[in-house]
Amino acid sequence: MLNYLIQQLSYFFEVHYNSFRLDLNKLIERKCGMRLKTKLFLGYVTILAIMTILFGVSIQNLDQSNRNVEKTQQARFLKTKYTETIKDEINNISRFYRDLILLDMNSHDFLQTIHAIRISRGELEAALDSREALAEKENIKNLLHKMKNINRDYTDMQERCIALASSGRKTEAGQVISEGGETRSQILKLMDDLYNNEDEAMSGVLQSSVVAYNRALRFLFISLLLTLLVGAGITVWMTQRATRDIRKVTAVMNRVSLIQEHIDLPRINIRSKDEVGEIAASFNEMALSLEEHATQEKEFIEEIEGQNWLKSRSSEITALCQGIQDIKTLAHLLITKISPMVEASYAVFYIREGNGDKLCFKKLACYAGSSQEFAREDLRPGEGLVGQSALENRTIMLDRVPGDYIKVSSGLGETSPKSIVILPVAFEEHVVAIIELASLQAYSPLRLELLEQVSKDIGVTINRVEAHMKIGTLLKESQVLTEELQSQSEELQLQQEELRTFNEKLEEQYKHSEKRATELERMKAALEESSEYKTEFLSNMSHELRTPLNSLLILSQTLAENQEGNLTPSQVEYVKTIFSSGNELLTLINDILDLSKVEAGKLSIHPTVIDLTGMKSYVERLFLPAARQKKLDFIVQMDEVLPDTICIDEYRLLQILKNLLANAFKFTNQGSVTLRVWKTEDQVVTKKDLFINAKRVLAFSVTDTGIGIQKDKQEMIFEAFQQANGTTARRYGGTGLGLTISQKIAALLGGFIEIDSVEGQGSTFTLYLPDQYVEKAVMTDEGSPPAWAELDGDVSTVVQVVDESPIMENWNARLEGKKILVVDDDMRNVFALTTALENRNMQTVFAENGKEGIEILQRNQDIDLVLMDIMMPEMDGFEALQSIRQIPVYEKLPIIALTAKAMKNDREKCIQAGASDYISKPVILEQLFSLIKIWLYR
Amino acid sequence: MSSAENRTITEAKSCDELEAIEINLLLEGIYRYYGFDFRNYVSSSIRRRIWYRIRAERLKSVSSLQEKVLHDPCAMERLLSDFSIHISEMFRDPLFFKSFRNNVVPILEELPFIRIWHAGCSAGEEVYSMAIILHEEGLYHKSKIYATDMNEALLKKAKDGVYPLDKMRAYMDNYLLAGGTKKFADYFEVCHDKGIFQPFLTKNIVFAQHNLVTDHSFNEFHVIICRNVMIYFDRVLQNRVHGLFYESLCMSGILGLGGKEDISFNNYSSCYEGFDREQKIYRKVK
Repeated sequence: MLNYLIQQLSYFFEVHYNSFRLDLNKLIERKCGMRLKTKLFLGYVTILAIMTILFGVSIQNLDQSNRNVEKTQQARFLKTKYTETIKDEINNISRFYRDLILLDMNSHDFLQTIHAIRISRGELEAALDSREALAEKENIKNLLHKMKNINRDYTDMQERCIALASSGRKTEAGQVISEGGETRSQILKLMDDLYNNEDEAMSGVLQSSVVAYNRALRFLFISLLLTLLVGAGITVWMTQRATRDIRKVTAVMNRVSLIQEHIDLPRINIRSKDEVGEIAASFNEMALSLEEHATQEKEFIEEIEGQNWLKSRSSEITALCQGIQDIKTLAHLLITKISPMVEASYAVFYIREGNGDKLCFKKLACYAGSSQEFAREDLRPGEGLVGQSALENRTIMLDRVPGDYIKVSSGLGETSPKSIVILPVAFEEHVVAIIELASLQAYSPLRLELLEQVSKDIGVTINRVEAHMKIGTLLKESQVLTEELQSQSEELQLQQEELRTFNEKLEEQYKHSEKRATELERMKAALEESSEYKTEFLSNMSHELRTPLNSLLILSQTLAENQEGNLTPSQVEYVKTIFSSGNELLTLINDILDLSKVEAGKLSIHPTVIDLTGMKSYVERLFLPAARQKKLDFIVQMDEVLPDTICIDEYRLLQILKNLLANAFKFTNQGSVTLRVWKTEDQVVTKKDLFINAKRVLAFSVTDTGIGIQKDKQEMIFEAFQQANGTTARRYGGTGLGLTISQKIAALLGGFIEIDSVEGQGSTFTLYLPDQYVEKAVMTDEGSPPAWAELDGDVSTVVQVVDESPIMENWNARLEGKKILVVDDDMRNVFALTTALENRNMQTVFAENGKEGIEILQRNQDIDLVLMDIMMPEMDGFEALQSIRQIPVYEKLPIIALTAKAMKNDREKCIQAGASDYISKPVILEQLFSLIKIWLYR
Repeated sequence: MSSAENRTITEAKSCDELEAIEINLLLEGIYRYYGFDFRNYVSSSIRRRIWYRIRAERLKSVSSLQEKVLHDPCAMERLLSDFSIHISEMFRDPLFFKSFRNNVVPILEELPFIRIWHAGCSAGEEVYSMAIILHEEGLYHKSKIYATDMNEALLKKAKDGVYPLDKMRAYMDNYLLAGGTKKFADYFEVCHDKGIFQPFLTKNIVFAQHNLVTDHSFNEFHVIICRNVMIYFDRVLQNRVHGLFYESLCMSGILGLGGKEDISFNNYSSCYEGFDREQKIYRKVK
């Protein structure tokens, strides 16, 4: 029944499943806004509900059948159990009866067995009752009834048996048992029937339970299937719905992933308002924002690319400019690079030159410049657009270039540009260059920006390059200067060196001169001694000299008078000549003595008061005859402002005047001789210091119109024994002492003599004297040696000594007479040496080898020096040296080694062998002699 | 030529250059420090000797030899002995000696006194040869032979007059070829395995150290023999040495040179006439 129900239900479900499903769909669809959640929920719930129902039913079913079965089983079980019990007890009882017989009636076991029989009987009866109670079927009941009846019989039998057995009548008991056997077998047969009934019933029950089980199982299966189907259906339906939307989403999303640029994204078209719908909506929003982003990004990238382009171009240009060191190359490079960058077809580069007023912009480089050179060469600031741009430092753009402006051309044709940009390049606010670019298309803002940026860099670069060029020029200049400096410093150094050497030399000289000074002191002392001697000598001699001379003069004069007239005219001439010669000699002696006295400071001045007029007449008287004789005019002029008298040594003054006048007359053949006496104060320019103390200065000038004196001889004539011309003495006579004496006397008087002469015209000798004689120290004349000194031979040598090194004389003297031993086997040498030595008055001995040398040395004890050759036979120089040095006498003997060997340590070898010194062959005689001198001097 | 070859050639060139510089420095250093002047010796022979010494001292370069030589006088001695040529034999080129004996000796006979100079006598073999000839011709008593060499060690050897005996035996042939008339063995004494020249031969020989490069003339001679010495000198040095000989030779004096040498290529060639050109014997005529 239940089965049927269940089956019906399942069929019902199965058949109406689809419609149910569709109904459900529609229900759901009607409510469009139903969310996925709800749908899912609904779906699951439905499934669960169905499942629950079915299971519930199933369970109930099962439970029911189970209970039934249980009940049945329970009953069955009991029945079986009672039956079993019956069977068992019957068996037991029979067993016990048997035992009873066997057992002793008096044993414990016997009683126990009886007890056991009774217990078993009780059990049996109980069981029978119970079974009967349970019996349902009629036949079983009958059976049991029968059994009970039989059992009663049996029981009686049992009791009899027991009684018998107890009474000991076992055999009777046995008989009873045998009689009762049939009863027992009836019970047993009934038992078996019962048992078989029980078995049948049992199997019947079992079978029915199996059937029920099968049924339930079947029901379960069906419900399971049902559930599955329903569930699947719902699941599929729902899944489909859900996945449909999701698939839409996925599809769109997939499409998106394929799209490169997210500018235009697909949208998900889902109208439902469930979760997927929300997803779709979100997705759409997201797509929207993605699109926005993508668009932004695109714009951004474009911008960045633009910037990149700018920067890389700009750095290209900067990189280009590195390393460029001259402005022209730079301009070319820039213009060539920039023009294509900004797509210009024609460009010009102007550079600033000059400063201030001369500021102008010169064309430096061109890009695609045509041969006609349209571009202007130079522009001033403010001149044209370029100038304007330069002035304002502002980029100027020409967008619509008229057709006739310029033409951009290539090989195939030409056209006018579309736009022109004039770009100023500035550095620190000053425009340093202008670039003008013409292009066939408009300049994009990016390109303009590039230009602006680049202009700054170019400005810096131009500045740098210009600076560099300037530095280059400056460097060259400084290099030149440095070289000059260097050479100058080298010169300075050289000079320094020279100065230093000079200094050293000076120091040497100084030392030398100090030495000399001391020598000179000594010499002077000696000189003074001798000069004193000389003065005495001279003064003595003057008398001695004059006496014979006087007699000569007198006698010759007397003879010249020819009083007795016995001399021939020629003889008279001779005598006159003797007289004049003697006169001259006398004059000379006088002069010399005078000079010597002046030199010795022995000339004394006796100032007296002179009357000038008197002097004048005296002079006139003295020289008129000479003037008349030579047919010369002789004029004596005395200035008016002269004092009448002067205080001066008359004799000396007259001496000077006489000398001057005599000279004048001597050297004048025509014209006049004038003596003028005048006072001068300011006219004495030279030697003013001489006349510091004088009140008045007088001048005595002797002017003649004679032969005059050459300028270069004018000083010379004042020197002793000097006349202007070597032949003067022959032609004009005179000793040459006059002027010297006059000069010296003038100095003594406190004045001096001045000369003014023109050769061929005449001379003027002027004597300046202070009118008061001032006692003054005698001024010795520096320079010329005392005239009288020259007369004396000894003294002359002493004087020579002052100039020459005094030592030399000693040496030359020392060499003479020395004995030299020459030991050499080279005859040429021997010959040369001996000759040279003997030329200097030295004695020589020679030997051919060392042995001979030693022999000779020993034979001649007076040998002063030995010249020893080294390479000799018999005994060479080294051996000889050593042997000689061993002789004590000759330890210090100077031995000079002569050797042809010139190697570095040969000198040392000679010295080590014992030589004092060494000179190498070929011998330079001068060197040798110096060496000899040194060694002899020591 | 490939660039590799080019490179090796340049390398080789610079190597040569470097070596030349090093050798110059070495010789200059030796000259300045020790005074021996090898700067004008023929470069190839000097170079060979230098390298020989470098290898013998187990060094690697010329500069290292320079260092050693300048700081170690014994090394200098060794180098010096390398530089000195001491290949010689008695009556070397016997025909020279024969010619000398036959042609020069008659001239010398007339002189009252003969002075002969052996320049670069090495270990003295040729000197003794000359002595023997003079002795045989009866001129020895009035002769003086000056034997000079740069190397003191060799000079000492020459002075000692000791030579290995087997060599002496070899010299005998030379002696005979040079026109020897006596028994060669008479001239020396045998002692162990050495032969020592008799004292009568050394009597008139003066041994002295003299350096042809640096030293000057020390006497005037009738005969100057300088054989196989100047082949190691360069042109400059040869001229110098010839000048020295010219100064040291009397008029009509005899100059004897080595077989490979010649008078013709120096400044003094016009001063000499050929006496026996084949044997390189010349006579000074002006």
